[in-house]
Amino acid sequence: MTNKYIIGVFDDEETLLDAVRKVKEKDIDIRDVYTPYPSETLLEILKIKSYFTYYAFLYGFGGALALLAFMYYAAVIDWPMNFGGKPSEAFPSFIIVTIVLTIFLITVLSLFTFSVRTDIYPGRKAIMPDPRSTDDKFVMVVAKDQIRNMEEEYHQMLKDSGASEVYEKEMELKIKP
Amino acid sequence: MDTKFTLTSKYKYISGALILIGVAAFVYGFITNPGRSWANLLLNNYYFLSLAIGASFFIGIQYITQSGWSTMFKRVPEAMTSYIPFAAVFMLLIFFGMQALYHWSDPGAAAHDELIAHKSPYLNVPFFFIRIVLFFGLWILMSRFLRKLSLKEDLEGGLRYFEKSEYYYKVYIFILAITFSLATFDWIMSIDVHWYSTLFALKDFVAAFFHAAAIITLIILLLNDRGYFKDLNKSHLLDFSRYIFMLCIIWGYFWFAEFMLIWYANIPEETMYIAQRWEDGWIYLFYGNIFINWFIPFLFLMSRDIDRSKLGLKIISIILIFGYWIDLYIQIFPGTVGEFSIGFIEIGAFLGFGGLFALLTGIALSRAALIPKNHPYLEESLYHHA
Repeated sequence: MTNKYIIGVFDDEETLLDAVRKVKEKDIDIRDVYTPYPSETLLEILKIKSYFTYYAFLYGFGGALALLAFMYYAAVIDWPMNFGGKPSEAFPSFIIVTIVLTIFLITVLSLFTFSVRTDIYPGRKAIMPDPRSTDDKFVMVVAKDQIRNMEEEYHQMLKDSGASEVYEKEMELKIKP
Repeated sequence: MDTKFTLTSKYKYISGALILIGVAAFVYGFITNPGRSWANLLLNNYYFLSLAIGASFFIGIQYITQSGWSTMFKRVPEAMTSYIPFAAVFMLLIFFGMQALYHWSDPGAAAHDELIAHKSPYLNVPFFFIRIVLFFGLWILMSRFLRKLSLKEDLEGGLRYFEKSEYYYKVYIFILAITFSLATFDWIMSIDVHWYSTLFALKDFVAAFFHAAAIITLIILLLNDRGYFKDLNKSHLLDFSRYIFMLCIIWGYFWFAEFMLIWYANIPEETMYIAQRWEDGWIYLFYGNIFINWFIPFLFLMSRDIDRSKLGLKIISIILIFGYWIDLYIQIFPGTVGEFSIGFIEIGAFLGFGGLFALLTGIALSRAALIPKNHPYLEESLYHHA
């Protein structure tokens, strides 16, 4: 199902943040904002709380425990071996493997989480209101039915706050941030 | 922007009282137990000296990487380096306690001990003190010179002083890398003269940098409580906590790397060092060391709510003050005193040196504008936003 959206393109972060603040003040629901790099302030203004860090912590914590348990099972319970009289429960030597694999697990599982959350998979065509947001432009997307009565006013407002382009586009956006 | 830190009389009285406690502790200590007192002198003097060295390394890093965020706070680590000349005096005083601290300084030791005889071209009393004079000479010279450049910049302005400081901080970091590594070998590792670890210098250098970053943060937060540094914002706090967080990981990494290699190789000369620290009493501090200095900052600074809160950073910095003391205690005391004991001498000596350090830092802070003027990155620092 396609919808009509109004897309504002900005040249730098500061003007985008100003515009987002102004739009928020008018109680207009912002559909999404696309930036070339992550912006913490933007999340604060949009009042979006990211749970990504909690997931990363969980992956790290669970991963470390699972790895230690696996190494304990392999080296102590299932197949103890004697290396020069050393105890088979060689805890300090487990640590290095745990560090390295924990980092690996966090990275890979975070990537999967990100992929699920943003609906991006290998082979899927990325849904992007304006592809230049991967380059150097900042893009704000607002659904057209949000601003039914004051379309012109809205266009003017974006222009005033420094948007380099404002245009309308019909497309399908699935995820709501 | 013309803020100046004024040294209140209350500050002077409190630090004076702490110094008096320290003097009392040392008088009591030298009468009852001279060996333990010398170990305390070495521990506390090294503790605050390494904070000063770590602080100058901290500014050096800021200059070399051309970091803007920390410019506003530059005077705090600068003030901390004013302890270095006093550390030189205490370090030279160690001459009278050589026998109590360093087994190798015993003239008869080399006769029956092949290893000490082998090390004696480097580890002998005259050369030891030549090195002390050389190290401190370089440190005092460089830190004074760089401080002077920083003060001149306030008066005259221009890019010249910034570029000059950047260049000389590069030189200073080179000097520190060599001299401070050798200093840790000389003063701390040679206590256990039969033991050696090539990671030792790096580990202690990182510890100095790590805890200096914590102390700088603590001083800035305490000044902020009293109305200075009004422009301190969450981004600054986040950067400070990132420093502490990153350094706690590096410190833990080196601590583990040293321990792991010794444990794995299982060579008697090396494992002796750890075995001694696994005896009753010491073992709690041995594990307490890694728990306090690595686990606590690592776990708590991960949280978004703690890593940019003033209270959270303050609590962690204060915990790290104790952590560093434990780290050095476990390095110095088993080889010198030999028995586990924490009493009036230890607490009093630490309070005394702490008072002296606080007083010197306070005096140095009050002598110049608290926020540097004319620094090219000052504006960036005042409106720092991550």
